[in-house]
Amino acid sequence: MQDVSYWIRPVVRFSQYCLSPTIDDLSSAGPQLYTPMSPFDTDLPIQAAQSASFDSHLDQSKELSTDFSSVDLSFLPDDLNQENGEQTHSEDGHEVQREQYRSQLTEQDSGFLNDSNLSQLSYGDATQPSPETSGACPPLTPMTPITPMTPVSESSGIVPQLQNIVSTVNLACKLDLKNIALHARNAEYNPKRFAAVIMRIREPRTTALIFSSGKMVCTGAKSEEQSRLAARKYARVVQKLGFPAKFLDFKIQNMVGSCDVRFPIRLEGLVLTHQQFSSYEPELFPGLIYRMVKPRIVLLIFVSGKVVLTGAKERSEIYEAFENIYPILKGFKKAS
Amino acid sequence: MSGQRKCPDCGSSEIVEDAHYAQNQLVCADCGFILTEGLLTTTFQDEEHLQEVTYSRSTGQNEQLSRCKLRGIKRVQDLCKVLYLPAVFEDTALSYFQRAIEHPSFHLVSLEKKEILVGCCVFVTCRQHNWPLTMGTICSLLYADKELFASVYLCVLKELELDVPALSLTDLVKTHLNSFKLFQSSASVPAKFAEDKEKMVARTIQIVELASETWLVTGRHPIPIVTAAAYLAWQSLQPVGRLTCTFARFCKMAGTDLPPPAHLRLKELNDILLRMASQLAWLRVLNVDKKTVVKHIGDLLQHRHFLLRSSFSSGDTEDQSATAVGDGSVSSPQAAGCSAQAEGCHPGGKQKCSSVRRPLLPPCLINPRKRLRTAALSPSDQAITGDEAISDSEIEQYLRSQEEMQEFSKAQAWH
Repeated sequence: MQDVSYWIRPVVRFSQYCLSPTIDDLSSAGPQLYTPMSPFDTDLPIQAAQSASFDSHLDQSKELSTDFSSVDLSFLPDDLNQENGEQTHSEDGHEVQREQYRSQLTEQDSGFLNDSNLSQLSYGDATQPSPETSGACPPLTPMTPITPMTPVSESSGIVPQLQNIVSTVNLACKLDLKNIALHARNAEYNPKRFAAVIMRIREPRTTALIFSSGKMVCTGAKSEEQSRLAARKYARVVQKLGFPAKFLDFKIQNMVGSCDVRFPIRLEGLVLTHQQFSSYEPELFPGLIYRMVKPRIVLLIFVSGKVVLTGAKERSEIYEAFENIYPILKGFKKAS
Repeated sequence: MSGQRKCPDCGSSEIVEDAHYAQNQLVCADCGFILTEGLLTTTFQDEEHLQEVTYSRSTGQNEQLSRCKLRGIKRVQDLCKVLYLPAVFEDTALSYFQRAIEHPSFHLVSLEKKEILVGCCVFVTCRQHNWPLTMGTICSLLYADKELFASVYLCVLKELELDVPALSLTDLVKTHLNSFKLFQSSASVPAKFAEDKEKMVARTIQIVELASETWLVTGRHPIPIVTAAAYLAWQSLQPVGRLTCTFARFCKMAGTDLPPPAHLRLKELNDILLRMASQLAWLRVLNVDKKTVVKHIGDLLQHRHFLLRSSFSSGDTEDQSATAVGDGSVSSPQAAGCSAQAEGCHPGGKQKCSSVRRPLLPPCLINPRKRLRTAALSPSDQAITGDEAISDSEIEQYLRSQEEMQEFSKAQAWH
């Protein structure tokens, strides 16, 4: 796709020189590189997707404008191909993921676009590409394309996958655990070992701990909605057993995600440079425990490049934490 | 003496020995006449024989502390003495312990945990001063459970907000080898097995550095690696008599135990050395295999930087240019052999290892264990809103019927 290639070339050139002179490079390249306007408009979902990471960097946006030292553009061609293909969302996983991003970040998204922060990026006449103006493309200065590109260049292109969600709910009635264990097929109760009934359902595949006070913990779901549905099913089972169970204060307590950066990591180097956050004791555990301060997430980083993120109450915290750690890990990629 | 004296003043024989302000006096019990007094000052000669009284014994400090704290303090001091730690370490460890024992999360724990807390404070102090002490040593000294030690240790780090630097492998090698009994011949160590300590330590450090460069150290317990490296170093210093000595026998001779992972580390180290050996021209003709590579460890270590670059491809791209480097010590056919992947094997030598350059990666990436990878959420799963209707039939499948319940309670009747 010829359009896309024009788009990619100046981006690739950015990645080679990580200094402000690249902006001059672009300006000298002339406006003909930017005649295909569709990339900018259809680029917006990417922008929305990346504004999660962008938000966390908004205070350092001045740095962002000139610092491309951690550019990773491996995902760019795929996104642009899809975006050029259609304006509407297609039914594949990548799109749906971005849909989720977008649904969670719409308020941030609009905030970002209308914010005066844009002016901080020191692109004087930055136009604001928006989905509404798909037809009318304002005349661009060579500076403008940088605006949609900076969030793109900061992202890693890897999305952590949620593995486990732990939630609690209050059924608001006292329960007779022996009764429940007798009447339910999927329950186990061993009061000498643990003071709760352990109940399991097949769809969504989850486990619940039900206590005699009426409080319940639901674990094993892979998404927030699944966890809520599973908790409701457990409450229904308890209801059918004859207890006046309600469904109060459903709250997600913990979310665990994992992903793979696909290169080995020198944990000894990482613990030296980030000593105040990391704890690496090979005698105890083969991975490095990184306690990120903002957002408050604990990451387990392994030598194979796999990263486990835990301690989040919101999905966005996991994504944000990964976007924060990815440039740090890349710094240890080629060290030998 | 008091029985024989008589008071000069009143003549009574009731003389008692009394300590007035810690000064011994002989006093008449009837009239209070002081017969003799102790000396208020001591002469220089006397002072030579005086013993230093520690602060903790001269003041009433011990009475102010609870018994648990006193015991803990004594244990810390004992542990420091056993490990021959400098006095500074003892003070630091004591201060950590006193801070920790005040903390609510340690104040009311079991005696076992308090004992482990003592070990943790000493361990943290040593690590902060870069004194190479391993958790295994502390656990064996305290007869502590390793998992419990690990959890208490992490708790201590979090509560006291301490930073602990990473364990330095070089220091660990030196300390660990200090405990080996190979450095002079004795009843259990024949003369040809005894080895000079400096040479062995130096070579072991080199091998451990080689292991660390080739991703064998990251994420692994350090002691098995040090043990395996020591074995290889010891063998290579005098291969003639020592090649027949097995790893287990070596450890028994040296007086250390052989940790189970050490065999795997030895295998991995041998693999690395074999690959490096395949890049040295004069070794290719010699048909080196994993038993004989030990003889050439000296050469391999000498040229290790070049050999590592040429034996392993870096990450994504084949590093062809690296083969051109270091042509001084090797002949050009070998450089050509490096770049020709297809005919990696020298026609003459039968290499046991494949000469195809593999990327320099940790072993977990080279031999990935087949794991069930959970698939990402399917589209139908993603469409769940959490508020769907739940059918009765679905819930009923989880409830027991009457007959089932009767049978179940019959089965449980003996409970």
